[in-house]
Amino acid sequence: MIELLNVTKTYNAGKQSEFTALKGIDLAFDANRVIVLKGPSGSGKTSLLSIVGCMARPTSGRVRIDGRELTSLPERFLSEVRRSSFGFVFQSYHLIKGMTVLENVMIPAYPIGVKRRLLKERAMALLEKLQIASKAVQDVQTLSGGEQQRVAIARALINSPAFIIADEPTAHLDTDLARELMAILADLHAEGRTILIASHDSLVFESEIVDQVVELRDGRVVGHC
Amino acid sequence: MLINPAIIALVSGSLLSCMVLIYASTIGIRILRGWDITSGSEQQLVFERKTYLISTVLGAVMAYEVFSLLLFVYTADHIHGLFVGAMCAAGTLNVNDYGYPTLNLKILNAVVCGIWIIVNHTDNRGFDYPLIRPKYKFLLAITAMVLLESFLQWQYLKGLNPNVITSCCGTLFSEEAETIAGEMAHLPSYSTKVLFYSSLLLTLRVGIHFTITGRAARIFSYLSFWFFLVSIISTIAFVSVYFYELPTHHCPFCLLQREYGYIGYPLYLSLFGAAILGGGVGVIERFNYKESLREIIPGIQKGLCLTAMIGFLIFAVISTYPILFSDFILEGY
Repeated sequence: MIELLNVTKTYNAGKQSEFTALKGIDLAFDANRVIVLKGPSGSGKTSLLSIVGCMARPTSGRVRIDGRELTSLPERFLSEVRRSSFGFVFQSYHLIKGMTVLENVMIPAYPIGVKRRLLKERAMALLEKLQIASKAVQDVQTLSGGEQQRVAIARALINSPAFIIADEPTAHLDTDLARELMAILADLHAEGRTILIASHDSLVFESEIVDQVVELRDGRVVGHC
Repeated sequence: MLINPAIIALVSGSLLSCMVLIYASTIGIRILRGWDITSGSEQQLVFERKTYLISTVLGAVMAYEVFSLLLFVYTADHIHGLFVGAMCAAGTLNVNDYGYPTLNLKILNAVVCGIWIIVNHTDNRGFDYPLIRPKYKFLLAITAMVLLESFLQWQYLKGLNPNVITSCCGTLFSEEAETIAGEMAHLPSYSTKVLFYSSLLLTLRVGIHFTITGRAARIFSYLSFWFFLVSIISTIAFVSVYFYELPTHHCPFCLLQREYGYIGYPLYLSLFGAAILGGGVGVIERFNYKESLREIIPGIQKGLCLTAMIGFLIFAVISTYPILFSDFILEGY
Protein backbone atom coordinates (compact mmCIF):
# COMPACT_ATOMS: atom_id res chain seq x y z
CA MET A 1 0.00 0.00 0.00
CA ILE A 2 1.19 3.51 -0.84
CA GLU A 3 0.22 6.32 1.54
CA LEU A 4 0.92 10.01 1.06
CA LEU A 5 0.39 12.18 4.11
CA ASN A 6 0.08 15.94 3.60
CA VAL A 7 2.75 15.96 0.89
CA THR A 8 3.94 19.33 -0.35
CA LYS A 9 6.63 19.97 -2.93
CA THR A 10 8.07 23.43 -3.52
CA TYR A 11 10.77 24.11 -6.08
CA ASN A 12 13.24 27.01 -5.75
CA ALA A 13 12.01 27.82 -2.25
CA GLY A 14 12.77 31.38 -1.19
CA LYS A 15 13.63 32.48 -4.70
CA GLN A 16 11.66 34.65 -7.08
CA SER A 17 10.92 31.56 -9.16
CA GLU A 18 9.45 29.63 -6.18
CA PHE A 19 6.79 27.22 -7.35
CA THR A 20 4.69 24.85 -5.30
CA ALA A 21 3.90 21.81 -7.44
CA LEU A 22 2.06 19.81 -4.76
CA LYS A 23 -0.07 21.28 -2.02
CA GLY A 24 -0.92 19.05 0.90
CA ILE A 25 -1.66 15.81 -0.95
CA ASP A 26 -3.28 13.04 1.11
CA LEU A 27 -3.73 9.84 -0.87
CA ALA A 28 -3.66 6.08 -0.37
CA PHE A 29 -3.29 3.44 -3.08
CA ASP A 30 -3.89 -0.24 -2.46
CA ALA A 31 -1.35 -2.75 -3.67
CA ASN A 32 -1.81 -4.68 -6.94
CA ARG A 33 -3.84 -1.91 -8.56
CA VAL A 34 -3.44 0.13 -11.71
CA ILE A 35 -3.63 3.77 -10.73
CA VAL A 36 -3.60 6.71 -13.11
CA LEU A 37 -2.78 10.27 -12.13
CA LYS A 38 -4.40 12.53 -14.67
CA GLY A 39 -4.36 16.25 -15.13
CA PRO A 40 -3.01 18.98 -17.39
CA SER A 41 0.64 19.92 -17.68
CA GLY A 42 1.85 21.54 -14.45
CA SER A 43 -0.79 19.84 -12.33
CA GLY A 44 1.86 18.00 -10.28
CA LYS A 45 1.63 14.48 -11.77
CA THR A 46 5.34 14.02 -12.41
CA SER A 47 6.30 15.58 -9.05
CA LEU A 48 3.99 13.16 -7.29
CA LEU A 49 5.37 10.18 -9.22
CA SER A 50 8.94 11.28 -8.44
CA ILE A 51 8.16 11.48 -4.72
CA VAL A 52 6.37 8.12 -4.62
CA GLY A 53 9.24 6.55 -6.56
CA CYS A 54 11.84 8.00 -4.14
CA MET A 55 13.47 10.04 -6.89
CA ALA A 56 12.64 13.29 -5.09
CA ARG A 57 11.91 14.20 -1.51
CA PRO A 58 8.85 16.22 -0.53
CA THR A 59 9.29 19.67 1.01
CA SER A 60 6.99 18.48 3.80
CA GLY A 61 4.82 15.46 4.44
CA ARG A 62 5.55 11.75 4.52
CA VAL A 63 5.29 8.80 2.15
CA ARG A 64 4.82 5.25 3.38
CA ILE A 65 5.08 2.12 1.29
CA ASP A 66 3.63 -0.99 2.91
CA GLY A 67 3.79 0.81 6.26
CA ARG A 68 7.47 1.75 5.93
CA GLU A 69 8.20 5.45 6.10
CA LEU A 70 10.45 6.42 3.18
CA THR A 71 10.91 10.18 3.19
CA SER A 72 13.16 10.20 6.24
CA LEU A 73 15.50 7.53 4.90
CA PRO A 74 19.09 8.61 4.27
CA GLU A 75 20.02 8.48 0.59
CA ARG A 76 22.01 5.23 0.84
CA PHE A 77 18.89 3.43 2.12
CA LEU A 78 16.57 5.25 -0.22
CA SER A 79 18.56 4.21 -3.30
CA GLU A 80 18.28 0.59 -2.16
CA VAL A 81 14.48 0.91 -1.84
CA ARG A 82 14.30 2.68 -5.20
CA ARG A 83 16.37 0.00 -6.87
CA SER A 84 14.57 -3.00 -5.43
CA SER A 85 10.96 -1.79 -5.22
CA PHE A 86 10.43 0.49 -8.21
CA GLY A 87 10.74 0.17 -11.95
CA PHE A 88 10.56 3.39 -13.93
CA VAL A 89 9.28 3.98 -17.45
CA PHE A 90 9.91 7.53 -18.59
CA GLN A 91 8.19 9.63 -21.21
CA SER A 92 11.38 9.97 -23.26
CA TYR A 93 12.56 6.44 -22.35
CA HIS A 94 15.94 7.71 -21.02
CA LEU A 95 17.85 4.83 -22.62
CA ILE A 96 21.61 5.25 -22.84
CA LYS A 97 22.69 5.84 -26.42
CA GLY A 98 25.73 4.00 -27.67
CA MET A 99 24.88 0.95 -25.60
CA THR A 100 23.04 -2.12 -26.78
CA VAL A 101 19.51 -3.05 -25.86
CA LEU A 102 20.78 -5.85 -23.60
CA GLU A 103 23.25 -3.59 -21.76
CA ASN A 104 20.56 -0.95 -21.20
CA VAL A 105 18.25 -3.54 -19.68
CA MET A 106 20.96 -4.94 -17.41
CA ILE A 107 22.26 -1.63 -16.02
CA PRO A 108 19.87 -1.18 -13.03
CA ALA A 109 20.89 -4.61 -11.69
CA TYR A 110 24.65 -3.96 -11.66
CA PRO A 111 24.77 -2.46 -8.14
CA ILE A 112 23.02 -5.54 -6.74
CA GLY A 113 25.92 -7.76 -7.76
CA VAL A 114 24.01 -10.52 -9.51
CA LYS A 115 26.27 -12.84 -11.51
CA ARG A 116 26.55 -11.58 -15.06
CA ARG A 117 25.46 -14.88 -16.59
CA LEU A 118 22.28 -14.98 -14.50
CA LEU A 119 21.63 -11.32 -15.15
CA LYS A 120 22.01 -11.81 -18.88
CA GLU A 121 19.58 -14.75 -18.80
CA ARG A 122 17.06 -12.66 -16.87
CA ALA A 123 17.43 -9.71 -19.27
CA MET A 124 17.03 -11.97 -22.32
CA ALA A 125 13.92 -13.57 -20.80
CA LEU A 126 12.38 -10.12 -20.36
CA LEU A 127 13.27 -9.12 -23.91
CA GLU A 128 11.69 -12.39 -25.15
CA LYS A 129 8.56 -11.66 -23.16
CA LEU A 130 8.36 -8.17 -24.65
CA GLN A 131 9.10 -9.60 -28.11
CA ILE A 132 12.24 -7.62 -28.73
CA ALA A 133 14.93 -10.22 -28.07
CA SER A 134 16.00 -10.16 -31.72
CA LYS A 135 17.27 -6.60 -31.21
CA ALA A 136 19.28 -7.44 -28.07
CA VAL A 137 22.69 -6.62 -29.57
CA GLN A 138 21.57 -3.52 -31.44
CA ASP A 139 22.38 -0.05 -30.17
CA VAL A 140 19.24 1.51 -28.68
CA GLN A 141 19.33 4.62 -30.86
CA THR A 142 18.64 2.46 -33.93
CA LEU A 143 15.24 1.35 -32.56
CA SER A 144 11.81 2.81 -33.28
CA GLY A 145 9.86 4.64 -30.54
CA GLY A 146 7.68 1.62 -29.75
CA GLU A 147 10.73 -0.65 -29.53
CA GLN A 148 12.53 1.80 -27.28
CA GLN A 149 9.47 1.88 -25.04
CA ARG A 150 9.56 -1.90 -24.72
CA VAL A 151 13.27 -1.83 -23.89
CA ALA A 152 12.50 0.76 -21.22
CA ILE A 153 9.84 -1.54 -19.77
CA ALA A 154 12.27 -4.49 -19.76
CA ARG A 155 14.80 -2.29 -17.95
CA ALA A 156 12.12 -1.31 -15.42
CA LEU A 157 11.47 -5.00 -14.72
CA ILE A 158 15.05 -6.24 -14.41
CA ASN A 159 15.05 -6.05 -10.59
CA SER A 160 11.55 -7.57 -10.31
CA PRO A 161 10.04 -4.50 -8.63
CA ALA A 162 6.66 -4.57 -6.92
CA PHE A 163 5.81 -1.12 -8.28
CA ILE A 164 6.00 0.12 -11.87
CA ILE A 165 5.98 3.88 -12.29
CA ALA A 166 5.28 5.21 -15.76
CA ASP A 167 5.37 8.91 -16.58
CA GLU A 168 3.36 9.75 -19.71
CA PRO A 169 4.29 6.39 -21.28
CA THR A 170 2.16 6.88 -24.38
CA ALA A 171 3.26 10.43 -25.15
CA HIS A 172 5.49 9.42 -28.05
CA LEU A 173 3.47 6.43 -29.26
CA ASP A 174 0.76 6.19 -31.90
CA THR A 175 -2.61 4.64 -31.02
CA ASP A 176 -1.68 1.05 -31.92
CA LEU A 177 1.59 1.20 -29.97
CA ALA A 178 -0.19 2.85 -27.06
CA ARG A 179 -2.73 0.00 -26.96
CA GLU A 180 0.13 -2.50 -27.14
CA LEU A 181 1.77 -0.77 -24.17
CA MET A 182 -1.44 -0.92 -22.16
CA ALA A 183 -1.66 -4.64 -22.91
CA ILE A 184 1.88 -5.09 -21.57
CA LEU A 185 0.99 -3.12 -18.43
CA ALA A 186 -2.11 -5.31 -18.02
CA ASP A 187 0.16 -8.38 -18.06
CA LEU A 188 2.41 -6.84 -15.44
CA HIS A 189 -0.63 -6.06 -13.31
CA ALA A 190 -1.78 -9.65 -13.69
CA GLU A 191 1.59 -10.73 -12.29
CA GLY A 192 0.70 -8.89 -9.09
CA ARG A 193 2.50 -5.59 -9.58
CA THR A 194 1.17 -2.18 -8.67
CA ILE A 195 1.20 0.16 -11.67
CA LEU A 196 1.22 3.90 -11.18
CA ILE A 197 0.85 5.96 -14.35
CA ALA A 198 0.84 9.70 -14.89
CA SER A 199 -0.97 10.57 -18.09
CA HIS A 200 -3.38 12.98 -19.70
CA ASP A 201 -4.02 10.54 -22.56
CA SER A 202 -7.66 9.34 -22.47
CA LEU A 203 -6.54 6.04 -23.97
CA VAL A 204 -4.69 5.44 -20.70
CA PHE A 205 -7.09 6.68 -18.03
CA GLU A 206 -10.15 5.27 -19.81
CA SER A 207 -8.52 1.88 -20.24
CA GLU A 208 -10.39 -1.00 -18.67
CA ILE A 209 -7.29 -2.17 -16.81
CA VAL A 210 -7.27 0.99 -14.67
CA ASP A 211 -8.62 0.54 -11.14
CA GLN A 212 -8.27 4.05 -9.80
CA VAL A 213 -8.00 7.50 -11.36
CA VAL A 214 -6.79 10.49 -9.39
CA GLU A 215 -7.25 13.87 -10.99
CA LEU A 216 -4.79 16.60 -10.14
CA ARG A 217 -4.95 20.30 -10.88
CA ASP A 218 -2.64 23.04 -9.64
CA GLY A 219 -0.99 20.65 -7.22
CA ARG A 220 -4.19 19.50 -5.52
CA VAL A 221 -6.39 16.44 -5.83
CA VAL A 222 -9.60 17.56 -7.52
CA GLY A 223 -11.09 14.20 -8.43
CA HIS A 224 -10.80 10.64 -7.21
CA CYS A 225 -12.62 7.63 -8.62
CA MET B 1 55.09 34.52 14.97
CA LEU B 2 57.41 32.51 12.77
CA ILE B 3 56.34 32.23 9.17
CA ASN B 4 56.78 28.67 8.08
CA PRO B 5 54.66 26.58 5.64
CA ALA B 6 53.76 24.06 8.33
CA ILE B 7 52.81 26.83 10.79
CA ILE B 8 50.65 28.50 8.14
CA ALA B 9 49.01 25.10 7.46
CA LEU B 10 48.35 24.59 11.18
CA VAL B 11 46.85 28.05 11.66
CA SER B 12 44.70 27.96 8.52
CA GLY B 13 43.64 24.38 9.22
CA SER B 14 42.53 25.22 12.75
CA LEU B 15 40.71 28.34 11.51
CA LEU B 16 38.82 26.31 8.91
CA SER B 17 38.03 23.57 11.43
CA CYS B 18 36.70 26.12 13.91
CA MET B 19 34.53 27.79 11.27
CA VAL B 20 33.02 24.49 10.14
CA LEU B 21 32.56 23.26 13.70
CA ILE B 22 30.85 26.48 14.81
CA TYR B 23 28.52 26.34 11.81
CA ALA B 24 27.83 22.63 12.39
CA SER B 25 27.21 23.27 16.08
CA THR B 26 24.60 25.94 15.34
CA ILE B 27 22.82 23.43 13.08
CA GLY B 28 23.37 20.80 15.81
CA ILE B 29 21.68 22.99 18.43
CA ARG B 30 18.70 23.49 16.12
CA ILE B 31 18.56 19.75 15.46
CA LEU B 32 18.77 18.94 19.17
CA ARG B 33 15.89 21.32 19.84
CA GLY B 34 13.64 20.55 16.90
CA TRP B 35 14.35 16.98 15.75
CA ASP B 36 11.20 14.85 15.52
CA ILE B 37 11.50 11.85 13.21
CA THR B 38 7.73 11.25 13.39
CA SER B 39 6.99 14.68 11.97
CA GLY B 40 6.75 15.38 8.26
CA SER B 41 7.18 19.12 8.76
CA GLU B 42 9.27 21.16 6.38
CA GLN B 43 11.76 21.90 9.18
CA GLN B 44 12.20 18.20 9.98
CA LEU B 45 12.81 17.34 6.33
CA VAL B 46 15.35 20.17 6.09
CA PHE B 47 17.13 18.74 9.17
CA GLU B 48 17.20 15.27 7.62
CA ARG B 49 18.81 16.64 4.47
CA LYS B 50 21.24 18.88 6.36
CA THR B 51 22.46 16.31 8.83
CA TYR B 52 23.70 14.11 6.01
CA LEU B 53 25.75 16.95 4.53
CA ILE B 54 26.95 18.18 7.93
CA SER B 55 28.02 14.67 8.98
CA THR B 56 30.00 14.21 5.78
CA VAL B 57 31.79 17.56 6.13
CA LEU B 58 32.41 16.96 9.84
CA GLY B 59 33.92 13.57 9.06
CA ALA B 60 36.60 15.41 7.06
CA VAL B 61 37.12 18.01 9.82
CA MET B 62 37.47 15.32 12.48
CA ALA B 63 39.94 13.42 10.29
CA TYR B 64 41.92 16.66 9.94
CA GLU B 65 41.93 17.06 13.72
CA VAL B 66 43.53 13.61 14.05
CA PHE B 67 46.02 14.45 11.28
CA SER B 68 46.80 17.88 12.79
CA LEU B 69 48.31 16.18 15.83
CA LEU B 70 50.94 14.66 13.55
CA LEU B 71 51.41 17.96 11.73
CA PHE B 72 51.84 19.79 15.01
CA VAL B 73 54.48 17.40 16.30
CA TYR B 74 56.20 17.34 12.89
CA THR B 75 56.25 21.17 12.86
CA ALA B 76 57.67 21.35 16.37
CA ASP B 77 60.36 18.89 15.38
CA HIS B 78 61.05 20.57 12.03
CA ILE B 79 61.68 24.04 13.47
CA HIS B 80 63.73 23.00 16.49
CA GLY B 81 66.91 24.28 14.84
CA LEU B 82 65.62 27.85 15.22
CA PHE B 83 65.75 27.73 19.00
CA VAL B 84 68.91 27.71 21.03
CA GLY B 85 68.99 24.62 23.20
CA ALA B 86 66.28 22.67 21.36
CA MET B 87 67.36 19.30 19.94
CA CYS B 88 63.94 18.10 18.84
CA ALA B 89 60.21 18.82 19.27
CA ALA B 90 60.58 18.52 23.06
CA GLY B 91 62.65 21.71 23.18
CA THR B 92 60.47 23.58 20.69
CA LEU B 93 57.35 22.80 22.72
CA ASN B 94 59.10 24.18 25.79
CA VAL B 95 59.78 27.58 24.20
CA ASN B 96 56.69 29.04 25.89
CA ASP B 97 53.98 27.99 28.35
CA TYR B 98 51.49 26.98 25.66
CA GLY B 99 53.46 24.24 23.88
CA TYR B 100 52.78 21.22 26.08
CA PRO B 101 49.17 22.19 26.99
CA THR B 102 48.49 22.45 23.24
CA LEU B 103 50.07 19.06 22.61
CA ASN B 104 48.14 17.42 25.45
CA LEU B 105 44.85 18.88 24.28
CA LYS B 106 45.64 17.88 20.69
CA ILE B 107 46.19 14.30 21.82
CA LEU B 108 42.88 14.30 23.70
CA ASN B 109 41.06 15.93 20.76
CA ALA B 110 42.55 13.44 18.29
CA VAL B 111 41.13 10.61 20.37
CA VAL B 112 37.66 12.15 20.82
CA CYS B 113 37.46 13.22 17.17
CA GLY B 114 38.42 9.69 16.12
CA ILE B 115 35.67 8.31 18.34
CA TRP B 116 33.20 10.81 16.87
CA ILE B 117 34.05 9.46 13.40
CA ILE B 118 33.23 5.94 14.66
CA VAL B 119 29.94 7.11 16.20
CA ASN B 120 29.07 8.94 12.98
CA HIS B 121 29.90 5.88 10.88
CA THR B 122 27.64 3.79 13.12
CA ASP B 123 24.84 6.35 12.91
CA ASN B 124 25.04 6.38 9.11
CA ARG B 125 24.46 2.64 9.05
CA GLY B 126 21.07 3.00 10.77
CA PHE B 127 18.09 3.92 8.59
CA ASP B 128 16.40 6.15 11.18
CA TYR B 129 19.26 8.43 12.35
CA PRO B 130 19.51 6.47 15.61
CA LEU B 131 22.42 8.42 17.11
CA ILE B 132 21.48 11.88 15.94
CA ARG B 133 21.12 13.34 19.44
CA PRO B 134 24.21 11.80 21.12
CA LYS B 135 26.22 12.62 18.00
CA TYR B 136 25.36 16.32 18.07
CA LYS B 137 25.73 16.59 21.86
CA PHE B 138 29.16 15.05 21.44
CA LEU B 139 29.85 17.53 18.65
CA LEU B 140 29.08 20.51 20.90
CA ALA B 141 31.64 19.26 23.43
CA ILE B 142 34.21 18.66 20.67
CA THR B 143 33.64 22.14 19.26
CA ALA B 144 34.43 23.69 22.64
CA MET B 145 37.56 21.55 22.94
CA VAL B 146 38.76 22.34 19.40
CA LEU B 147 38.17 26.08 19.97
CA LEU B 148 40.27 25.90 23.14
CA GLU B 149 42.92 23.90 21.30
CA SER B 150 43.02 26.48 18.48
CA PHE B 151 43.36 29.28 21.01
CA LEU B 152 46.22 27.52 22.80
CA GLN B 153 47.88 26.64 19.50
CA TRP B 154 47.61 30.26 18.34
CA GLN B 155 49.08 31.51 21.60
CA TYR B 156 51.89 28.99 21.29
CA LEU B 157 52.72 29.73 17.67
CA LYS B 158 52.37 33.49 18.20
CA GLY B 159 54.76 33.31 21.13
CA LEU B 160 57.51 31.38 19.36
CA ASN B 161 60.48 33.64 19.92
CA PRO B 162 63.84 32.54 18.46
CA ASN B 163 65.64 34.60 21.10
CA VAL B 164 64.38 32.32 23.86
CA ILE B 165 66.86 29.77 25.10
CA THR B 166 64.96 26.57 25.69
CA SER B 167 65.75 23.23 27.29
CA CYS B 168 66.78 20.19 25.34
CA CYS B 169 65.01 16.86 25.63
CA GLY B 170 67.92 15.48 27.60
CA THR B 171 66.95 17.87 30.41
CA LEU B 172 63.17 17.62 30.05
CA PHE B 173 63.12 13.81 30.03
CA SER B 174 66.04 13.20 32.33
CA GLU B 175 65.67 10.97 35.36
CA GLU B 176 66.61 13.94 37.55
CA ALA B 177 63.84 16.20 36.26
CA GLU B 178 61.16 16.83 38.90
CA THR B 179 58.31 16.54 36.42
CA ILE B 180 55.89 13.82 35.36
CA ALA B 181 58.14 13.17 32.34
CA GLY B 182 61.09 12.87 34.69
CA GLU B 183 59.15 10.46 36.89
CA MET B 184 58.36 8.32 33.85
CA ALA B 185 61.98 8.36 32.72
CA HIS B 186 62.98 7.31 36.22
CA LEU B 187 60.75 4.20 36.25
CA PRO B 188 62.66 0.92 36.58
CA SER B 189 62.88 -0.64 33.13
CA TYR B 190 62.35 -4.26 34.15
CA SER B 191 59.12 -3.61 36.10
CA THR B 192 57.84 -1.33 33.35
CA LYS B 193 58.53 -4.05 30.79
CA VAL B 194 56.53 -6.53 32.88
CA LEU B 195 53.69 -4.01 33.14
CA PHE B 196 53.87 -3.30 29.39
CA TYR B 197 53.85 -6.90 28.16
CA SER B 198 51.29 -8.12 30.72
CA SER B 199 48.98 -5.21 29.76
CA LEU B 200 49.45 -6.10 26.10
CA LEU B 201 48.63 -9.75 26.70
CA LEU B 202 45.60 -8.88 28.80
CA THR B 203 44.29 -6.43 26.19
CA LEU B 204 44.78 -8.97 23.39
CA ARG B 205 43.23 -11.75 25.47
CA VAL B 206 40.09 -9.69 26.14
CA GLY B 207 40.04 -8.57 22.50
CA ILE B 208 40.10 -12.18 21.29
CA HIS B 209 37.40 -13.05 23.83
CA PHE B 210 35.26 -10.20 22.53
CA THR B 211 35.83 -11.17 18.89
CA ILE B 212 34.73 -14.73 19.57
CA THR B 213 31.89 -14.22 22.06
CA GLY B 214 30.81 -10.62 21.49
CA ARG B 215 31.10 -10.01 25.25
CA ALA B 216 33.35 -7.68 27.29
CA ALA B 217 33.32 -4.82 24.77
CA ARG B 218 33.62 -2.18 27.45
CA ILE B 219 36.40 -4.02 29.26
CA PHE B 220 38.34 -4.16 25.98
CA SER B 221 37.72 -0.45 25.57
CA TYR B 222 39.00 0.39 29.05
CA LEU B 223 42.00 -1.87 28.52
CA SER B 224 42.75 -0.14 25.22
CA PHE B 225 43.02 3.18 27.00
CA TRP B 226 44.99 1.57 29.81
CA PHE B 227 47.43 0.03 27.34
CA PHE B 228 47.68 3.38 25.54
CA LEU B 229 48.80 5.06 28.78
CA VAL B 230 51.14 2.22 29.67
CA SER B 231 52.64 2.40 26.17
CA ILE B 232 53.31 6.13 26.44
CA ILE B 233 54.96 5.57 29.83
CA SER B 234 56.90 2.59 28.45
CA THR B 235 58.09 4.59 25.45
CA ILE B 236 59.65 7.12 27.81
CA ALA B 237 60.82 4.57 30.36
CA PHE B 238 62.52 2.01 28.12
CA VAL B 239 61.41 1.78 24.44
CA SER B 240 63.07 5.04 23.41
CA VAL B 241 66.25 4.09 25.28
CA TYR B 242 66.66 0.96 23.17
CA PHE B 243 66.27 2.92 19.96
CA TYR B 244 68.84 5.53 21.04
CA GLU B 245 71.10 2.88 22.60
CA LEU B 246 71.78 5.46 25.28
CA PRO B 247 70.55 4.64 28.81
CA THR B 248 70.10 8.29 29.83
CA HIS B 249 68.11 9.43 26.78
CA HIS B 250 64.35 8.98 27.24
CA CYS B 251 62.92 11.53 24.78
CA PRO B 252 59.76 10.35 22.99
CA PHE B 253 60.19 13.01 20.29
CA CYS B 254 63.65 12.18 18.93
CA LEU B 255 62.12 8.97 17.59
CA LEU B 256 60.47 11.16 14.95
CA GLN B 257 63.81 12.21 13.53
CA ARG B 258 65.68 10.92 10.50
CA GLU B 259 68.53 9.52 12.61
CA TYR B 260 66.13 6.93 13.93
CA GLY B 261 64.45 6.20 10.59
CA TYR B 262 61.36 8.25 11.52
CA ILE B 263 60.35 5.18 13.53
CA GLY B 264 58.23 7.35 15.84
CA TYR B 265 55.63 7.91 13.12
CA PRO B 266 54.60 4.25 12.62
CA LEU B 267 55.07 3.69 16.35
CA TYR B 268 52.72 6.46 17.44
CA LEU B 269 50.32 6.08 14.50
CA SER B 270 49.72 2.44 15.34
CA LEU B 271 49.29 3.23 19.04
CA PHE B 272 46.96 6.22 18.60
CA GLY B 273 44.95 4.47 15.88
CA ALA B 274 44.53 1.36 18.01
CA ALA B 275 43.54 3.38 21.10
CA ILE B 276 40.89 5.28 19.12
CA LEU B 277 39.48 2.10 17.56
CA GLY B 278 39.60 0.22 20.87
CA GLY B 279 37.82 3.11 22.61
CA GLY B 280 35.22 3.12 19.84
CA VAL B 281 34.33 -0.52 20.60
CA GLY B 282 33.08 0.44 24.07
CA VAL B 283 31.52 3.74 23.06
CA ILE B 284 29.21 2.24 20.42
CA GLU B 285 28.35 -0.60 22.80
CA ARG B 286 26.31 2.02 24.65
CA PHE B 287 24.00 2.27 21.64
CA ASN B 288 23.32 -1.43 21.25
CA TYR B 289 19.77 -0.93 22.55
CA LYS B 290 18.79 1.01 19.40
CA GLU B 291 16.56 -1.21 17.32
CA SER B 292 18.00 -0.23 13.94
CA LEU B 293 21.60 -0.77 15.14
CA ARG B 294 21.20 -4.01 17.05
CA GLU B 295 22.38 -6.18 14.17
CA ILE B 296 24.87 -3.65 12.80
CA ILE B 297 26.89 -2.75 15.91
CA PRO B 298 28.43 -6.20 16.58
CA GLY B 299 29.90 -6.29 13.05
CA ILE B 300 31.36 -2.80 13.37
CA GLN B 301 32.75 -3.61 16.82
CA LYS B 302 34.47 -6.77 15.62
CA GLY B 303 36.14 -4.85 12.80
CA LEU B 304 37.26 -2.13 15.21
CA CYS B 305 38.49 -4.65 17.79
CA LEU B 306 40.50 -6.67 15.27
CA THR B 307 42.09 -3.54 13.79
CA ALA B 308 42.84 -2.20 17.27
CA MET B 309 44.54 -5.46 18.23
CA ILE B 310 46.61 -5.34 15.02
CA GLY B 311 47.58 -1.74 15.87
CA PHE B 312 48.66 -2.68 19.39
CA LEU B 313 50.62 -5.62 18.02
CA ILE B 314 52.40 -3.41 15.48
CA PHE B 315 53.31 -1.02 18.30
CA ALA B 316 54.56 -3.90 20.43
CA VAL B 317 56.56 -5.43 17.56
CA ILE B 318 58.24 -2.10 16.73
CA SER B 319 58.96 -1.52 20.43
CA THR B 320 60.31 -5.02 20.97
CA TYR B 321 62.49 -5.19 17.85
CA PRO B 322 65.49 -3.22 19.26
CA ILE B 323 65.18 -5.02 22.60
CA LEU B 324 65.67 -8.35 20.85
CA PHE B 325 67.99 -7.47 17.99
CA SER B 326 70.24 -4.61 19.13
CA ASP B 327 73.47 -5.14 21.05
CA PHE B 328 72.33 -2.70 23.67
CA ILE B 329 71.58 -4.12 27.12
CA LEU B 330 69.62 -1.88 29.47
CA GLU B 331 69.20 -3.98 32.58
CA GLY B 332 72.13 -3.96 34.96
CA TYR B 333 72.96 -0.39 34.02
